[in-house]
Amino acid sequence: MAKFHPDLDMLTEFTAGTLSLAQSACVSMHLSYCTKCQEISEAQTVMAANLFEDLEPVSVSDSQLDIVMSRLDEDAPLTYSKDAYAKEAGTPAILQRLMHGDFSDLNWKKITSSLRISYLSTGDPYYEFALYHIKAGGVIPEHNHQGSEMTLVLEGGFSDSDGTYHAGDFLFREAGDVHSPAALADQDCICLAVLDAPLKFTRLRHRWMNPFLQLKAS
Amino acid sequence: MVTKKPGDEVTNLESGRRTDEWSQCLRAIAKHRDRTAFARFFRHFAPLIKAFALSGSTLSANHADELVQEVMLKVWQKADGFNPDKASASTWVYTIARNCRTDLYRRLQKFDTPLSADDVSLDQDGDEPAVMLHQRRTRDRVRVMMDTLPADQAHILAKVYMEGKSHSEVASELDLPLGTVKSRVRLAIQKLQIQMED
Ligand SMILES: [Zn+2]
Repeated sequence: MAKFHPDLDMLTEFTAGTLSLAQSACVSMHLSYCTKCQEISEAQTVMAANLFEDLEPVSVSDSQLDIVMSRLDEDAPLTYSKDAYAKEAGTPAILQRLMHGDFSDLNWKKITSSLRISYLSTGDPYYEFALYHIKAGGVIPEHNHQGSEMTLVLEGGFSDSDGTYHAGDFLFREAGDVHSPAALADQDCICLAVLDAPLKFTRLRHRWMNPFLQLKAS
Repeated sequence: MVTKKPGDEVTNLESGRRTDEWSQCLRAIAKHRDRTAFARFFRHFAPLIKAFALSGSTLSANHADELVQEVMLKVWQKADGFNPDKASASTWVYTIARNCRTDLYRRLQKFDTPLSADDVSLDQDGDEPAVMLHQRRTRDRVRVMMDTLPADQAHILAKVYMEGKSHSEVASELDLPLGTVKSRVRLAIQKLQIQMED
């Protein structure tokens, strides 16, 4: 069971549908690991539905009803079962849709000897959506965040000065936070990161890395 | 606040199951492709969907009509997947309307994305009796909580959930500090959590 969760404000925006697409996808994936947050979001949905029922109705003309009635025989768009994707492997369904395969099929960019990154395209113009693969025991150089960063651990785990995180754990860092995460010693760590601005490493000797990190999702 | 409206849930004491007019309507649509039931459903919900579409205030009247049509078509197409034990008819419709509105916003912003709002929203799956019992309890408790909510909190919740405004947009619109907005939303949700823990 996940120990680190999105805060209430974020769950609220997620449920209200106002969170950006890439961030929503990340929160949604946390929910697939976390019944506690699922329950909160469910209750919020019911609450929102109550507000919906209490809205002041705005009249809709009969011609609208006629249009809809005349379209009822149209073929329903094809849908797929989310479950089918989810059960295929331990990976969240959303990720499987975006990856078209598994982690080994991705186009990884090597950043350091222990870190590689693969950008996935969600179509969200405001946030990058990337998978980080950190080798067991590997350390990501100390860096600060120009923008916010959302992280969800998918496999393995990592730790930083604030704690140790395992699969399903969700972290949110504000701009300006400095940290230096290290993967746990016994297993490689894969996590999802949603960033609203490219990372900049704080230590001078890592400056050269910046161009790599600024590679945009294709 | 306790006035009965058509569509309010009535508990059938004998079976303990909750039934309501709109759930039955949806079942008739799913099972018998009943167009009369659909028209009735439309007359009740389409004006709420339109109100929801326009409450965000950035959609034009044309787009609001487009949204009404899209949501009601989905109601017809997806009625089969509606399970009254999992959600009330209005929660089910609200979820469709919310996701369609989000997708419409993204289309209008020319987002090209492989993910729909449906894909990233919470699945109301789970056929286990425990989950369904739990969901029914949630419904009752949310209703109780909403009926006792102070007006200023209800007002902010409506801005967040119906108008789809971020906390900071609500803050600047109501000329309140961001912290005040956040704490009012949190307060309401925490009340909900306390109710659910009983
Ligand atoms: Zn959680």
